[in-house]
Amino acid sequence: MDDLIVKTITRLIVPFIQVYGIFIILHGHISPGGGFSGGAVLGSSMILFTLSYGLTDATKKLPHKVTGVLESGGIIWYILLGLMGILLGGKFLSNKEVGFFMGQAGEILSAGIIPLITVAIGIKVASTVITLFHTIIEED
Amino acid sequence: MSSQHFPVYSLLLLLAAAVIIPLLNKKSFSKVKLFLITVLVAVWGFTLKTLLFVYQSGAYSYNFGNWNEIIGVQFIVDEFSALMTLFVMSLAILILIYSFKDMEHEINKDQFTGYYTLVFILLFSMIGITYTNDLFNMYVFMEILSITSCSIISIKKKKENYMAAFRYLILNTIGSLSILMGIAMIYMVTGHLNMTQVYQTIAEVWQLYPTNILTAVGFILTGLGIKAAMFPLHIWLPDAHSTAPSPSSALLSSLVVKVYIFSVYKILFKVLGQSIVVALGVPTFITYFAAVGMIMGSVFAIGQKDIKRMLAYSSVAQIGYIFLGLGLVTIDGLSASMFHIISHGLMKSALFLSAGAIIYYKDKRNINDLDGIGYEMPITMFVFTVAAFGMIGIPGINGFMSKIYLSFAVLDANKPIYLILILASSFLNAVYYLPIIISAFLKESKDRKNIMEIDKLPKSMLIPMVILALGSIIMGFYPQLIMNVVEKAVPTFLF
Repeated sequence: MDDLIVKTITRLIVPFIQVYGIFIILHGHISPGGGFSGGAVLGSSMILFTLSYGLTDATKKLPHKVTGVLESGGIIWYILLGLMGILLGGKFLSNKEVGFFMGQAGEILSAGIIPLITVAIGIKVASTVITLFHTIIEED
Repeated sequence: MSSQHFPVYSLLLLLAAAVIIPLLNKKSFSKVKLFLITVLVAVWGFTLKTLLFVYQSGAYSYNFGNWNEIIGVQFIVDEFSALMTLFVMSLAILILIYSFKDMEHEINKDQFTGYYTLVFILLFSMIGITYTNDLFNMYVFMEILSITSCSIISIKKKKENYMAAFRYLILNTIGSLSILMGIAMIYMVTGHLNMTQVYQTIAEVWQLYPTNILTAVGFILTGLGIKAAMFPLHIWLPDAHSTAPSPSSALLSSLVVKVYIFSVYKILFKVLGQSIVVALGVPTFITYFAAVGMIMGSVFAIGQKDIKRMLAYSSVAQIGYIFLGLGLVTIDGLSASMFHIISHGLMKSALFLSAGAIIYYKDKRNINDLDGIGYEMPITMFVFTVAAFGMIGIPGINGFMSKIYLSFAVLDANKPIYLILILASSFLNAVYYLPIIISAFLKESKDRKNIMEIDKLPKSMLIPMVILALGSIIMGFYPQLIMNVVEKAVPTFLF
C-alpha cells in the first residue's frame, strides 16, 4: 500500500502506541493490563507499520532473527527469574519470602519480581505477534 | 541442590531447550543433535533422581512461589507421577535418537530444528500433566499438548497430513472445551481447583449436587475419551497416527494418548474419590466402552492394508484393555492397567519404529508388499515380531503378562464375561499380526531371492528398536521388576 496519508499518520501514531504498550506492561502489577495486553499493543503497532510500509521495510526495521531471539529471550528471562527464587532458598518463582524488594504498594518499583516478569511476558508476546503476522503475509 | 526441586528442573530444562533450539546454528546438525541428547539425558537423570528421592523420603507436594494450595499452583510428586515421568522420558529418549535419521528422510531440512522445538514442548507438557495437582493447570498443559501434537502430525506438509491434523485439532478442541466445562462445574460446586482440596470438599457436597457432579464427570470423561481415543471417540486416531512421520506416530501412540489416561486416573480417583465414582456408576460404563473398543479396534485393524493404519487401529484395542483395568476399580485392575500402559508403550513404539524403518528403507507401506522382507531386514522384522507377539499375548513377552494380570483382575472382580472378551481380542490380534510375520519370513520376495543379510539401516535407528524389543522381553520374563514399582504407585489412587 503506497498512500501518503496512511504513511504519515502511521509515522505519527506508532510511537504513541508503543509508549502506551510499554506503559501497560510496566504498570502490569498495579493496574489492569499486564504483560500479555501490553505486548499485544506493542506488537500491533508493528503490524500497523507493516501494513502501511510493506513487508520489506518492516523486516528491515525488525528482522526475523531479532524477533526470534526476543521470543526465546523472553521465556529464558522468565525461567531465570523463577530460578532466582530457588537460588535464594525458596521455591520456583518465590517472591517475598526470599527477599526481593517489595516497596510501597501502588508504586512502579514494588512487588518484587512481578514487574520484571511482566516485562518478560510483554517482550515474548510482542515478538510472537510480529513473527506470526510476518510469517502469515510472507506465505502469500 | 535440594532434591525436591528436581521435577521443576526437568520441566524448565525441556522448555529452555525448546526455545534455545531455534537460536542454534542451523547448518551443523550434529551439534544440535548433541545438544538435544545432552538435554534429554539430563532430564532423564532428574526424573530418575526424583523417583529415587520419592522412594527414600515419601511423596511430597511442591507449591510454586510458596503460595498455599488454595490459590497457587501445586505439583504433586508421588510414586505414580515420578514413575510415569521416568517412563515418558525413557521412551522419549529412544524415540528421539531413532528420529534423528528418520526425520531427515521425512521432512525438509529447514524444518528439522522446528520439529525438535515442537517435540520438546510436547514432552514439557506431558511431564506437566503428570505432575500437576491443579485442575486448571492440567487444562493449560492439555491445550499445549494438543496444539503441539497436531503440529508434529502436519509437519510433513502433505494433503493427508493436513486433513488428519485438522480433524485432530477440531476434535481436540471439542475435547478441551468439554473438559473445561466439567472443571467449571466442579469448581462451581466445590470452590476449589486444587485436586486435594476438591477431594476433601466434594465428599461433603456431593449428596447435595449429585446431578451436577455426574454431568461434570460426563463432560470430563467425554473430553478425555476423545483425547485418549476411547472406542466410539477414536475416529481421529487412525488418520493422525498413520499419516504422521513414524517417530511422531510412536510418540503419539505410546506416550501422548497415555498421558490423557493419567488424567483420567487423577480425575476419577484423586478429584472425585473412589466411593463417589462407584456410587455414580461411572466405572461400569467405562468397562462397557472398553470392552466394545477391545473387539471393534481389532476388527477394524483386520481390514487395513496400510501397516501404520493397522497399528493405529490396534492402539484403539489396546487402550480398551487399559480402560478395562481402570473400570474395575480394584487394586489389581488398576495395577494391571498401569502395567499395560508401560508394556503397550514399549511394544507399540517398537512396532511403529520398525514399520517406520521399513518405510525408510524400502518405501513400502502396504501389508501385501512385505513378502520376504524378513530376509532383507532381519533385525527390524525381529523387533516387529517380538512386539507383535507381545500384542497377541505369546508367553515370554510383556503383553502376555499384562493380559494375565488383567485376566486375574477381571476374575477377582467377578466379571468373567470380560475374560472371554480378552481372549477373543487376543485371537483377533493374532488374525492381523501373524499374516505379516508369516509373509515376511516364509514367503518368497518378488524382486530378490531370500538370502539373509543384515539390515542396511543406520545404527542410530537400529539400536533404539533393539533396546525396545529387549525391554519387552525382559519385562515379559521378569514382570516383577515393573510390577513392584507399579504396586507402589497404585495406593496413591485407591486405598
